[in-house]
Amino acid sequence: MKLSSKYNQVNLIASLLVLCITGIAYYFTISYILNRQIDQELKLEEEEIRQFVKKHGELPDMLNFKDGKIAFEEISVQQTDRKFSDIDYLNAKEKEIEPGRSLRSTVTVKGKIYQMLIIKSKLETEDLIRMIFLITLGIIGLLLTVLTIVNRLLLKKLWAPFFKLLQQMKTFNITDQRELLVDTTRIDEFDELNQAALSMSSRVKKDYKSLKSFTENAAHEMMTPIAVLNGKLDSLLQTESITENQAGLMNDMYVAVSRLSRLNQSLLLLVKIENNLLQDDQENLDLRELLEQKIRQFRELLESKNIQLQANLQSKEIRMNKYLTDILLNNLLSNAWRHTSSGEEVKIILDQQKLTILNTGGTALDADKIFLRFHKNAASEGSGLGLAISKQICDSYGFKLEYTYQMPYHRFDVVFKASNQ
Amino acid sequence: MMSKNHVNLFNPKNPGSGIKFSCFKNSSDFRFTFKQTIRILKILIVEDEAGLRKTILDYFTGEGNICETAENYQEAIEKVALYQYDCILLDLTLPDGNGLDVLRNLKKLAKDEGVLIISARHSLDDKLTGLDLGADDYLVKPFHLAELKARVTAIVRRKNFEGNIVIRFNEMQINQQSKEVSVLDQQVPLTRKEYDLLLYFLANKGKVISKNAIAEHLWGDGVDLVDNFDFIYTHIKNLRKKLIQAGAADYIHSLYGMGYKFSE
Repeated sequence: MKLSSKYNQVNLIASLLVLCITGIAYYFTISYILNRQIDQELKLEEEEIRQFVKKHGELPDMLNFKDGKIAFEEISVQQTDRKFSDIDYLNAKEKEIEPGRSLRSTVTVKGKIYQMLIIKSKLETEDLIRMIFLITLGIIGLLLTVLTIVNRLLLKKLWAPFFKLLQQMKTFNITDQRELLVDTTRIDEFDELNQAALSMSSRVKKDYKSLKSFTENAAHEMMTPIAVLNGKLDSLLQTESITENQAGLMNDMYVAVSRLSRLNQSLLLLVKIENNLLQDDQENLDLRELLEQKIRQFRELLESKNIQLQANLQSKEIRMNKYLTDILLNNLLSNAWRHTSSGEEVKIILDQQKLTILNTGGTALDADKIFLRFHKNAASEGSGLGLAISKQICDSYGFKLEYTYQMPYHRFDVVFKASNQ
Repeated sequence: MMSKNHVNLFNPKNPGSGIKFSCFKNSSDFRFTFKQTIRILKILIVEDEAGLRKTILDYFTGEGNICETAENYQEAIEKVALYQYDCILLDLTLPDGNGLDVLRNLKKLAKDEGVLIISARHSLDDKLTGLDLGADDYLVKPFHLAELKARVTAIVRRKNFEGNIVIRFNEMQINQQSKEVSVLDQQVPLTRKEYDLLLYFLANKGKVISKNAIAEHLWGDGVDLVDNFDFIYTHIKNLRKKLIQAGAADYIHSLYGMGYKFSE
């Protein structure tokens, strides 16, 4: 629920409640005052009747007049109390039932006790009350409408800086060099929020930057010792009389050093792609031509494992960094080559929308984890970074890299961005 | 071929190179050993990491090559100004300066030395700037010494012969322009990889080259072969067979299958 709706809702309920209570109080007060006025008139009438009785020694005629009536009835028992009450009576003149106010009282004429009933119509009073009630209702309605409109306009204007900040936070990119743009508002809370958001974003960016430069520096610093290790191994290889046993040990060391260096280079590459250091250097590339080159490069490797390669390539131009494109194709093909068993097959399909690489062998992989760094199955000899790098490259160009398993194929799709087609 | 060589002998841009090739006065001299065609190399190694500097120095010394070292920017600038080298191995990150400034200095001095940048940075910018400033090649650390040697050899050849050279080794002739190999004047058809491999071996003659180094040279470091080196074995076997069949001696020796050595 939106804050403004919630606010309006509370506002509306509170206003309604207060206005209703006011209305009721208003109604009762007016009714009370008007009743008292009628009662006063009734008493006056009674007094007139008593004076008539005293003067003439007889009851006046029972009367029906326009807004009331007077009636007498002989009773046997003296009733002392006078009673005012609301009553519905038949207005003889108007010939309809009308609400009225009555006064019951007794009068003694020549030893006989009579009960007299004086009724006065309340029709006009009721009309008055109804009118007041309607006007009140109208005012309530008007007030609520005005309140709602004012709230909506005011809230929209007041919250504008908030929504501006929110929009920027939604599109916040940690690798983006630009700072958040905030206006100074006249509202302290929003100013405070803006300042907090600014300082938070710059702090986060600073931390991220230092983390990345740490990774980069660490990887760089490691390169020199690896280079020394590599060089010393090359030198050691030149020494005379190496035994077979020593040669085996050195071979293992070569493999380990080469893996370490590859891992390091992959980490550096990841940092660079994340830093957007490479993406900007774009050119128009003929993807089919690059793929054909890559396939030529891999042909021998594939043939050595007796892997059947089928390629169905359409012409496709793409705007990318050449170095990154090369790495992407390399990683995807290496991946297919490495995980396809002897005698199985690899298919490469390129069309205008996507590049698909299919390979058989093994069972379905966990699509959620496959692109995570250092995620690899136990049998894999790779660094565990190849697909993570591929994913990063695709992300940086707005491409989608997806993995699905369609018996018996592992399927990798690079779906190009619409604008890059 | 001869005329090309002669042009180069008196090339004012390459003072000194004339003396070293003065033995090629007539075509029969080409029959002499490979050692005569590879002149003495004078190399400057600019590298601040002592371990690496010594390793490179050891690998390049021998065959009469002269190697000098500089461990910082200042030393490099001084040596570059004072002496003439065939090739300078230049590390970019030096404790007291940037290797690129050494390059700028070379350019300012109008010197025409071959420069191979060896850098820990796999940075496209550095590479482009370096090549722009006149460096001939760019090698990223870590590298194999054999690869370094092959690149230096290629630079020196390119500098002195503008790539147009026939390499001779005993009964073998390799024409770098047409990429043709012949043994005893008989052409030997080699695949691209076998040809690359032969050149690589010749540049690292007398040295044991690990399978790793060969794999990276032939496939580049983009292809992660891990420890599957059967391919190399096949190529080496084929190359060796072709050369022997054509009448060459058996120059390629295996060291327990983990490395290979090209030697007489």
